[in-house]
Amino acid sequence: MNGLLLKPAMVATVGSLLHPTPAASQVSPTTNKATHVRITQGPEVERADPDFAIIRWTSNNPGGSPEHYGVVHYGTDPTKLNQTAKSPIRLNAGHSYTVFRVRMDGLKPRTTYYYTVDSTEANGKGDGVKSAVKHFTTPG
Amino acid sequence: MDRPSGMGSASVKRNSQEFHSVDQLFAVQRLEYRRDDRRFGGCEIRNRNLSILAGSARTTNSRKGISMNRGMLTIILSIFVLCTVVLCMMLAARKVSGQSAHAQISAQVYNPYPPGILPSDLNPEIERVRRELRVLEGRALARWRALKPPILVGQPPTLQNTGTEAVETLGELMNYDENISTNRNRACSFCHMPYAAFSGPIPSVNLTMIAYPGTFHFRAGKRTAQRYTYSPFFPVLQYNQVQGLFFGGNFFDSRSTGYLLRNADAEQAQHPPVDTAEMGFPDTACVALRLSQAEYRPLFEQVWGKGSFDIKFPPETQRICDTPGGAAVLGRSATPIPLTPEDRTRANMVYDHWGQSIDAYEQSLQVSAFSSKFDAFLKGNYKLTADEMAGLKLFDGKGNCNSCHLDGRGTTLKSDQADTSTAASVTPLFTCFGSANEGLPLNPRDAIYYQTTPDSFGFAENALGFGYRDLGLGTFLRSGFGSAPSPNSTWTQFAPSTDGQMQVTSARDVAMTPLQCPTTEAPGPYFQKEFFHNGYIKSLKQLVHFYNTRDKYKYNVTSGHCPAGTTEKVDCWPMPEVPNNIDMTTGNLGLTDKEEDQIVAFLQTLTDGYTRPYPNRDTFTGTCMTGGSAKTQGNEFLIPTPKLPPCATAICGTQPVPNPAIP
Repeated sequence: MNGLLLKPAMVATVGSLLHPTPAASQVSPTTNKATHVRITQGPEVERADPDFAIIRWTSNNPGGSPEHYGVVHYGTDPTKLNQTAKSPIRLNAGHSYTVFRVRMDGLKPRTTYYYTVDSTEANGKGDGVKSAVKHFTTPG
Repeated sequence: MDRPSGMGSASVKRNSQEFHSVDQLFAVQRLEYRRDDRRFGGCEIRNRNLSILAGSARTTNSRKGISMNRGMLTIILSIFVLCTVVLCMMLAARKVSGQSAHAQISAQVYNPYPPGILPSDLNPEIERVRRELRVLEGRALARWRALKPPILVGQPPTLQNTGTEAVETLGELMNYDENISTNRNRACSFCHMPYAAFSGPIPSVNLTMIAYPGTFHFRAGKRTAQRYTYSPFFPVLQYNQVQGLFFGGNFFDSRSTGYLLRNADAEQAQHPPVDTAEMGFPDTACVALRLSQAEYRPLFEQVWGKGSFDIKFPPETQRICDTPGGAAVLGRSATPIPLTPEDRTRANMVYDHWGQSIDAYEQSLQVSAFSSKFDAFLKGNYKLTADEMAGLKLFDGKGNCNSCHLDGRGTTLKSDQADTSTAASVTPLFTCFGSANEGLPLNPRDAIYYQTTPDSFGFAENALGFGYRDLGLGTFLRSGFGSAPSPNSTWTQFAPSTDGQMQVTSARDVAMTPLQCPTTEAPGPYFQKEFFHNGYIKSLKQLVHFYNTRDKYKYNVTSGHCPAGTTEKVDCWPMPEVPNNIDMTTGNLGLTDKEEDQIVAFLQTLTDGYTRPYPNRDTFTGTCMTGGSAKTQGNEFLIPTPKLPPCATAICGTQPVPNPAIP
């Protein structure tokens, strides 16, 4: 936690020396990358509609770029999770944990979907998170 | 100089009689407007008649002289007629200075709007704001006249001691100058008044059409008027390759990149004068022309150089600058005024200095004041109330607001902890300079959807009608419809990952209102503001509730179609206008009703004017509103969204196309 806090402070201080306005030093800091990113809660279905679902999970703060993507790999065959949904979230440098939530659009009603989750930095670099294959069924 | 100082007082009387409260909206709109048009037209005719009468009287006096044999009544009548002459000249001066065939045509009103879109008090409210901003212009002129002339000394030459105030005052004067518009009726401040933290000053517009009417009535833009406050602190737009993100720029879609001036805010100030829906000039050189005629020209020359206006404007310049941009008669040229290359360069410099001067004003303590309760709190001079402190903890913690609206605080507090962390080494601006798509529903009241037919100049702001979708940053990166050309083709590839994203505005001053209307929240007395880029949200309570429950109460409907048994904005949020790239940091925060209120209380501590009065916040002469609930504030003006056609090819068919496709 302290490490997470110190780094932005250093970045901010260096930034304020390099830039003529205080603004430039306030750009969201790239924080230290966590050694291991582990899911601490979920993934689980926050909401499932006939054509829409939100998958939610919590991990320790992965660090890295301030914007991250939650990624859901899914499909109707547990061995072929060939579809992907991803949603951006913003890391909070002051939080020890991060809640990822991903929107899945265009689902079919009364259909069972299998999924795993991962997260990436804004540039697509993965956080190294993998979850077990889970499933849910959309209502009719 | 060509500003008739007497016009204000005459108008005040007339319009104070006509002023309507915002409660009287929406009654037989077209009839109202026809009535208003006749009224204004009639006034002009009266003025002309007075001029004719005065002219003949003057001739009579000249021929016969004033004889001692005349009775006192004749003398009084003569004095009356002479006074009338003066008054008429003053009243007519603004018209006369822009007289041309085009000016006459521009008096016609363009009204493509169905009943109920334009607020019924629009004309008197326009005039109210114009009166108010002239008061501010007068204060700026007084400030200039009181300014000790700076002396240019040293290498590089510097305007010693008062140079900063000189350029800030110049920017202030420009901000309140109505001559920087085609019809000499729109100053920048018309959409950006100090009492609203330099955002939209007309409550009924904020409730209805959301975009402000420009110089040519009633063209209007597509977004809410963004606050000036703290906009100068945004850096030049850049794509950070390490973070994979865009930072900086100005405007909701970041189209003011600052790529040339290296100042996004200065470049921002350059856009509205040549925006067809705003101040309307067809050529940037019109800014130089009108500034060369300004009363404060000497100050401009003092700051930027004596030779600034050594430009030979061709005879047709006046006519061109009296014609609103987009007019068919002007053709497609971006520079219809035929200047020599040397004069074009000088005009460009004036245009740049226009932007830089306004930026100086916006960055000054007159605008970006850092004088809020929160600033006092950081200094240890203000103790947050229990609700404000709880709101701060939620802002940083459960609400996760400070993941984008960076507040410079060092810790995330648990519910039983007090904030004892030291103030940040930088002054927090409550923004990350980034962009996000918060999933706002399409607002069918937005004036942009209705401007589908050409006006009398053959120009239509949005031929796409409801096929228009506001993709924000994504459209700008494509140099797309309704935005501006992007100066950097290497950014275009990122358009699909930024579709729907709008700039994260500083949360500072989000709650600022006129002094006599102490809050933005019903039951008030309150000042009706509008929030987010399309003004769909009408109170801070709604704003926080939207972040809190957007996904919890999501329905597959458009605005105005929430299911029976639900209340829009309370337990029904219509589908987002742009479903791509929605920020999922928010949407289901689990805040209680009380916690939402506490965040609102904290947001209200960000209003400047606590440690010292906020300049020019005292000029609102309109009406505060009362009654109702902040939860449903403005819901009486919800209208059903029509069945939406697919996103127009001009927007969603431009490469690289949105992924997934936007319906």
